[in-house]
Amino acid sequence: MNMGGPITHVVKNSHHRHPEPFDREKLHKSIVAACLSSGAPAGHAESMARRVVGEVEAWVESRPEVTSNDIRRVASQGLRTYHPDASFLYEHHRSTL
Amino acid sequence: MDIITSLAIVGFAALIHASFQLSVSVLTLLSGHAIGSKKSHARLVRLTTSYTTGAGVMTLLLLSFVSLAFIHWFGTEVPLLVWALVCGLVFGIGIAVWLFYYRRNAKGTELWIPRAFAKFLTERSKKTQQGAEAFSLGLTSVISELIFIIPTVAIAALVLIGLPPEWQLVGIAIYTAVSLLGLLIVWSLIGSGRSLARIQKWRTDNKRFLQFSSGGALIVLGFFVYVSKIMATVLGVQ
Repeated sequence: MNMGGPITHVVKNSHHRHPEPFDREKLHKSIVAACLSSGAPAGHAESMARRVVGEVEAWVESRPEVTSNDIRRVASQGLRTYHPDASFLYEHHRSTL
Repeated sequence: MDIITSLAIVGFAALIHASFQLSVSVLTLLSGHAIGSKKSHARLVRLTTSYTTGAGVMTLLLLSFVSLAFIHWFGTEVPLLVWALVCGLVFGIGIAVWLFYYRRNAKGTELWIPRAFAKFLTERSKKTQQGAEAFSLGLTSVISELIFIIPTVAIAALVLIGLPPEWQLVGIAIYTAVSLLGLLIVWSLIGSGRSLARIQKWRTDNKRFLQFSSGGALIVLGFFVYVSKIMATVLGVQ
């Protein structure tokens, strides 16, 4: 994404780390992990992750800067359509402990 | 206090210990990272088994250490003042669990522990690849929970040192086995392939009940020990 276009920066939640460019691979991996942990088969997890990453990319495209929380929220909203359990895990992963 | 009552108190204290959630949260995170990074099921079971074994070993060592310390300080006849202090600690932590166990406004199962500590455990669970690392994470998780489990360990230790030596070993075994119940249930669910999301959803949906029952059970334990040991001795019933 953003090939040749403006780069969207992701502001990290901790505020101690510098903003970094939006990384679709990182997002894809985290969504696949949530789907697998929710019992989805590997192939299904990959295809759901591809679709959700596409939705997030479309959302991010017009924004110069977003927070990692925004990405998590948008991704979990997208994932809810395909796999509500995975969406729950994805959204609440950081508040497990 | 007779042997059956003593073992019942030890078992009840261990049940309260089992209701605390930090070790279960770390096990959930560890399993989530292992499944998410596409580790084999055998590897997942090995990691979770090592983690649970680590938690069990640390519980065993902790209870043995506290019992030994009490024997060293007080012998087998513990002064009533010490019983009263431990009962006060149990009441206090029980009320604290009601008020503070989970973080306010937390969406999930975030516990009232320093955030740096939670972050460290989260990072460690993410980086755990080997059985030995999972074992040491299990050891660490029991230490991390110390603020909540110290009253149950203290009560169990006080009761245990009054028992004959062979029953002390039985008591330690009962405490260790029962305190691992929560972990063993989650371990068996993960091992049998249940969805982590379902487990975490159940924990989130029932967190207030778990908080209320843990705090309430601590208060009941403190009250029971106060009546059966302190009141009974003072009134000459024993």
